Formats: sequence, structure tokens, C-alpha cells
Amino acid sequence: MIRHCVHISPNEVKVDGKALIHNDKGSTMLTELYRTYVGDYPKFFKMDTLSRVGFLASELLLNAEGNRCFEPREDRAVIFFNRNASLQADTHYQSTIQNPENYFPSPAAFVYTLPNIVTGEIAIRNKYFGETSFMIIDDFDEKIIMKNLENAFQDPITKSIIGGWVDCSDEEHFEADIFIMEKD
Amino acid sequence: MEELIYKLKQQIIEALNLEDMKPEDIDDNASLFGEGLGLDSIDALELIVMMEKNYGIKLQDPAQGKEIFKSVAVMADFIQKNRTK
Amino acid sequence: MEEKIGGKRMIVKVSDNIISPLGTTSAENYAAVKAGMSALRRYDGLWGLPEPFFASLLDRKAYADDRQTIDEKIVIDSISKALEGTVIDTTWTKVLFIISTTKGNVFLLDERENGLPKERVRLGMMAREVTKHFCNPNEPIVVSNACISGVCAQIEAMRYLESGEYDYVIVCGVDVQSAFIVSGFQSFKALSQEACKPFDANRCGLNLGDAAATIIYTRKDKVNDNEWVACRGAIRNDANHISGPSRVGEGSYRALRVALGDLDPSELAFINAHGTATPYNDEMESIAIERAGLSSVPVNSLKGYYGHTMGAAGVLETIISMQAIDDHNILATRGFDTLGVTHHLDVTDQNRNTEKRVFIKLLSGFGGCNAALLMAKGGVQ
Repeated sequence: MIRHCVHISPNEVKVDGKALIHNDKGSTMLTELYRTYVGDYPKFFKMDTLSRVGFLASELLLNAEGNRCFEPREDRAVIFFNRNASLQADTHYQSTIQNPENYFPSPAAFVYTLPNIVTGEIAIRNKYFGETSFMIIDDFDEKIIMKNLENAFQDPITKSIIGGWVDCSDEEHFEADIFIMEKD
Repeated sequence: MEELIYKLKQQIIEALNLEDMKPEDIDDNASLFGEGLGLDSIDALELIVMMEKNYGIKLQDPAQGKEIFKSVAVMADFIQKNRTK
Repeated sequence: MEEKIGGKRMIVKVSDNIISPLGTTSAENYAAVKAGMSALRRYDGLWGLPEPFFASLLDRKAYADDRQTIDEKIVIDSISKALEGTVIDTTWTKVLFIISTTKGNVFLLDERENGLPKERVRLGMMAREVTKHFCNPNEPIVVSNACISGVCAQIEAMRYLESGEYDYVIVCGVDVQSAFIVSGFQSFKALSQEACKPFDANRCGLNLGDAAATIIYTRKDKVNDNEWVACRGAIRNDANHISGPSRVGEGSYRALRVALGDLDPSELAFINAHGTATPYNDEMESIAIERAGLSSVPVNSLKGYYGHTMGAAGVLETIISMQAIDDHNILATRGFDTLGVTHHLDVTDQNRNTEKRVFIKLLSGFGGCNAALLMAKGGVQ
């Protein structure tokens, strides 16, 4: 059963189908959303774009769910899919090593060159000890995603999943479509 | 030295993405890790990169970082003595 | 013959393969590891990197091609070898491909790379090169969950088979080292300048390695005593830090607990740990293993033979562990001399005999994720 959903794209943000008002677009919109709806998590500014999008989407989603208590739980999984893995972060990291004359590999950039980090950021923020995972398929496919998430309930403890599509090809091109799925 | 300390604070803010901070917000002698600014292990590694990039100082052992990054004042002192840029 | 476990049918290994600097078959790889061999060596100035590093690398020239990347080639090679002797027709719709990788094809981001189209840096495109080769009609799934990907991919396979959607799942884990990856770990000061020493008091970091490894799984009602069953797997997060492991081994302990289930720990021949030889990882695993009540179970790590093969590790190390039990052996932890973790672990630098038939594969990765997989020869009661 799907409870609550969030959509984020460079021009649009919707929570449970209802549009949120915002002044900015693209990467500055993400900062605006952070300041308006979160505000108490400065680690946001260390995140790459994929993690910012996924993190913000999860914050809006969990605010919609309500009763946020940040109590540790193991029965909620965070499972995302995308097409571009961590491309924006990869490109950024590559730029720190591309030129032998200006070679300064950045650990803060390197740590985000794995798409699953966004699921880790959500787990840390919410104290989720449950399953976190990330998979890549070259085209968005709702059927594949839904079937995979249903399968995740085979884990004996998982009862709830924050799942969906979180993708980003560069700082200004991203989208998230995530939802909470509860075990029937 | 004061000029170095101010510049260093700006560089730290930039290197560590401390978006909402200004140099005035960082006390010269406040601890950077633990209680003070609450920086973590990745921040420490990033500061090592920053030291090399901006001042030509190479730290081979991350454990050295613990002593040098105690506070901005301690860092500035170390940089003053060891900079090659 | 083992009957169904609690109503579920069993997920059974059909075949496997490893392509690594130690060989191109699972048997060849196991023989090399049993004999204490390793391809780990120092590289100075390779790929224009200013700092030397220690790694186990494939001969790139042997895989040079203008149509496929080395990642794609060794995946196709490994899967082809695993398919030999099986009845599997990869054109069937009931066959699914799952690829496990952390940074497959990432070298294509380098501006100096002019060979293949940049779009192949997309992992879905890389995986489609593979399914295209085998004429498989299904969209491949790529698991990219940091260093636990190889176990995650196997857990995904188990779930797809259990759901009945597919009859065979081909899991292939791959990663090939490059300037991108090595420089990144160097920036973390996580690499050792010599052969790594898992769980050792003088350990100082990890080595990196190339590999591709394949396991093909199917679903059966009954298994014979010699068939390998993937019994239970779990993935859990530390919810602590994106790169440092939990100081209390939270996620690793919870994954172990679920994978172990109600199995009596005395049935375990060994736990093949992640054992990367970083100060923090090995310490964390010792804590997690103790919290799970498994301190008396022999522990080993294979990173001293292969280095850390990242996306391939979970698959490769599971295969070598199965080979070891088939050979009644608990493999030595190459590089280990004196225990250097605060919680006691039964680790040695010698091969040891065992008649037990069950093991756990344990892994951890960036993003705070941890995974554990219980494998049993002939299944469990």
C-alpha cells in the first residue's frame, strides 16, 4: 500500500499531488526548500546534488507522514533507483584529479561518488537501522521498481519502505519520485 | 598573523561547505573538532588537502592533523612556520 | 535430501566463475588462494598517479578492445564460463541478469579517454552491453550499493527467484581499478603501501583489486547433499556516518543476527568477514561478531589475496568460501600475524580443516551499509 508521495524536479515540487510554492528553480530551489522546510541540518550543504534531492524529498515525505520522532527503527527500508548513479558527484570528483598540474583529489567529493550514499544520509538523519539499497536501470520503469520493492518485504523485519526514483545528471537536472510503501 | 587567521577562516568555510557561517562566527581558539565546530573525519582529510593546495604543506600522516587542527589559531601558527606557498 | 525450508523452496547455486589476476576459473582461483598466492604488488606512477599504491590488477592489454570496456569484457567472459555445462538458455524470459558494481566504466569520465561513447559510463548501458551479448530480453538490474553490492545482488537474486518471476538469475560482480578509484582512496588515506594485514595489530589500510565473479542461482524443491543453498541474507544500516563504520558495529551486528536466524552458531564453519585491514573496519567487525554471539566462530578475510575488489567482492568471496568448504578447509588470512582488535576473534594465518558445511559472508560499505549472507552446503534444517 502506498502512503504519501513526493515529486521534485527543477521546476516543480509536489507533496501528495499538491504543488508547493517556491520562488527559485534548479539548484537554488533546493537550497530554498532546505531553508523553508528543514533548516536544522547543516550537513545538507556538504551533500552532492543527488543526496540533496533525495534528502529533501525524504524530509517532505516524512513531514507528510507526520509524527516524526527520530526514534531508531529497523523495520523501515530505504531503496532507490536511478539511471545516472552518482554522475554529478563523479564528474565533480574527476575535475579534482583531471589536471596533473592541479591535482588535489577531494575526499569530501569522493565520498559522494556512490549513489547509495543518499540512502545512508536518510538513514543517519532518521535513525533507520533497516535495509538501505540502490539500483540502476537505464530507463525509469514503474513495474520493475514496484516489483523489486514488493520483493523487499521478504526480509523478515521490513514492514515499510521509502522507495522510488531519485536521479541527477548535473546540478541543474534532477528528479525525485518517492513514496512510502507499507507491507500489506 | 591576523590577516592569515581571517583568510584561513574563509578558506575553512569554503573547503568544508560551512554555508551559513562567516569568519566572524569562528572563534580563534575554539576547538574545530568535537564540541566546537563539530567537524568530522572527512573534514579533517579535506583540511589536509586545503593545506597542501593553499600553503604547499604536505601532511603524510592524518594523525598529525589532530594536533594541528586543534583550533584556527594553532593551525595558523603551524602554517606560518611551515608554508612553502 | 533436504526438504523445503519452512514452506519456501530453496535457492540453489547452479554454477560459478571467477576472473581475477589469480585465474579464470573458480577452481584455479581457489587453488591459488589455498597455496597462499597473491597478485598484490606495488605500482609506482601507474595512470599518472603521484603516489604509489599496492594492488592486484589484471593485464589490461589482454582485454584491450575498441568495442567494449574491460569491465564489460570480463563480465561477459565470467558469465560465459559460468554458463558452460549448464542447460540455461539466456534468451529465455525467465532468466534475469543482475550486475553488481561500484564504479563500473568510470574511467570513461577521464577527458583523455577517446575510445568508447561516454554514455557507456551509465551503468544501465554497461549492463545492456552484457545482456545484448547473451541475447537476453530482460532489462538487467545493476546493484550499486557500495562495497556490499556483491551480497546485495545475491539477496536480490534470492528474492526474484522466491517470487517466482524468474527461473534463473545470473549474478555478476565486477570492478576494475583506475586513477579515479585509487586517487579517491588515497585522498582518504585508506590505502596501505604494502600488502594488507586484515585484523592484524599492525594493519594500516587496504589494497585494491580487479575482478569479475559470477554465481548463477535457481530455485528447487529438493537439494542433494552437495548442492549449495543461499539460505538467508540481510542488509542493515549503521545510521551513523557516511564513510566511517559504526563504533558499535550496529548495522553489521543486525545484519548478522537476521542472517543467522535460529541456526545454532556451532554449525558455522567460519565467517568470511569484510576484513579490509583498515583500523576502523576490522575493529568494528570484531565488535559486531561478538554482539552477535559468534566470537568462537573462526573468522577469515580474503583481502590479503585479492585486495578489495569492491563490487566483485561479495560474489568472489562467497565463491571462494564455498570452494573452501567443498575442500573441508578454512582458508588462512593472508597478511595476518597478531590479533589487533579489541574483541577476540579466531583468526589465523594457517589453513585449517573443517567438516562443517555452513558459512556466513559478511561485508560493509560506504553509506553505513552492511550485509550478511548465510550459505549452506546441502541446506539447513
